Amino acid sequence: MTAQFGYPEDREQRSAAQVRALEALLIEKGVIGSGTVDKVLGYFESEMTPVNGQKIVARAWTDPAFAQLLATDTPAAVAELDLPLGMAGAEGEHLAAVLNEPGVHNLVICTLCSCFPWPVLGLPPYWYKDPVFRARAAREPRAVLGELGVPLDPDTEVRVWDASGHSRWFVVPERPAGTDGMSEAELAALVTTESMIGVGLADAPTPA
Amino acid sequence: MKLQHHLGGLDGLSGPIDFEKRVFVEDWERRIFGIHAAMMGLSDSLREALPDYDLDAVPSAFADTWTWADLRKGAEAMNPFAYFQYRYYEKWLGGITGYLVQQGYVDEAALAEATDRYRAEPAAALPDRDEGVIDEQVLRYLREGDSPRRGPAAPVFAVGDRVLVGDPPAGEHTRLPGYLRGCPGTVERVCEGSYAYFCSTGADGLGEPVAVYVVRFEPTDVWGPTAEPNAGPLFAELYQTYLAPRPTPSQEAAR
Repeated sequence: MTAQFGYPEDREQRSAAQVRALEALLIEKGVIGSGTVDKVLGYFESEMTPVNGQKIVARAWTDPAFAQLLATDTPAAVAELDLPLGMAGAEGEHLAAVLNEPGVHNLVICTLCSCFPWPVLGLPPYWYKDPVFRARAAREPRAVLGELGVPLDPDTEVRVWDASGHSRWFVVPERPAGTDGMSEAELAALVTTESMIGVGLADAPTPA
Repeated sequence: MKLQHHLGGLDGLSGPIDFEKRVFVEDWERRIFGIHAAMMGLSDSLREALPDYDLDAVPSAFADTWTWADLRKGAEAMNPFAYFQYRYYEKWLGGITGYLVQQGYVDEAALAEATDRYRAEPAAALPDRDEGVIDEQVLRYLREGDSPRRGPAAPVFAVGDRVLVGDPPAGEHTRLPGYLRGCPGTVERVCEGSYAYFCSTGADGLGEPVAVYVVRFEPTDVWGPTAEPNAGPLFAELYQTYLAPRPTPSQEAAR
């Protein structure tokens, strides 16, 4: 078994050199250009980030008609907002929001791979791709949410969504108490990536 | 049976979850993600995409298909021990490298030589060869995507219908979570339109446009006595080819 799970000491240096070599050869071959990878990364760093999801959730909290449309026709609702071009692009072609409500908590998982609504939430964090999370969240979501610090009333129904098809689900968490009168921008700052996948709640406002 | 198809619900992984919130934990991981996204944006399969991509105008030497299906096939083909051993982007690096060598875009000896060179001098520059039209196509793909939605569907099930998940032979790739095979469920939603898949999955049944359903499962129907107490419903989005009708209780009683 030790041989099966042994890692070379220079594991990361090897991978770093290999990916650099791969990129260099692809540029020499004319598959990509020398700036292609940087352009891709720049797109996800500057435009396709969880800020988009935060704005969607904050609008849903302040505009019941928008929240209703978000639940029934997510792409149409998202298209109403002033968000970067590309919300229906790669991994956003079929966005689908599931809304938490009193007594209902939603959790999105992908047991086969790592399907994630890129334009809304950016690229998936490591925990989402972790085989242990994927294995356990399907069968014991309450235990997993408890371990990750999500307070759940025993009567709250936990709904699990396994992203096996074309839809890319995300969660609209409940609006925290004590946020009356806050602006959309202030509300958006309370919305974490984890809350939009269902392994967290929106942050409570900091007392003034 | 592949472990990768049956990860959902796998017993024995009761240890703590690594709640690592970073997207990349090593800087090199960013580069393999970028290479993958670029290859998807240059894939020959985009000639069939709904956006009118003009691949003939893009001066890339890439002339093959690279989609999510290809990346997933690589992960599903792994030794299951290795699947657990390697981190997410290590699997990507292995799968993408193997594909590019196999398809002849990268020579194995040249890769080994270049790897040694960058190992000795990690800060050495990449070749300077700017390709603005390639970059534009990749960014256009990221903004416009590759929806599998095709024409109207002819759904055989309606909301509320009782269905039974099939157990087709699993080949190199499937979109049917293993834990749902043979399980009874109920149609929660009929998706509008029909949906193709990136490739044929053979006897598994995907490829041609079909109706897709969100199906609701009760935990006790899926997990039996090992279901979590007080668990709520589980929903999965399943292609029609994975589903069969299930008799109603009265139909079953009449048999």
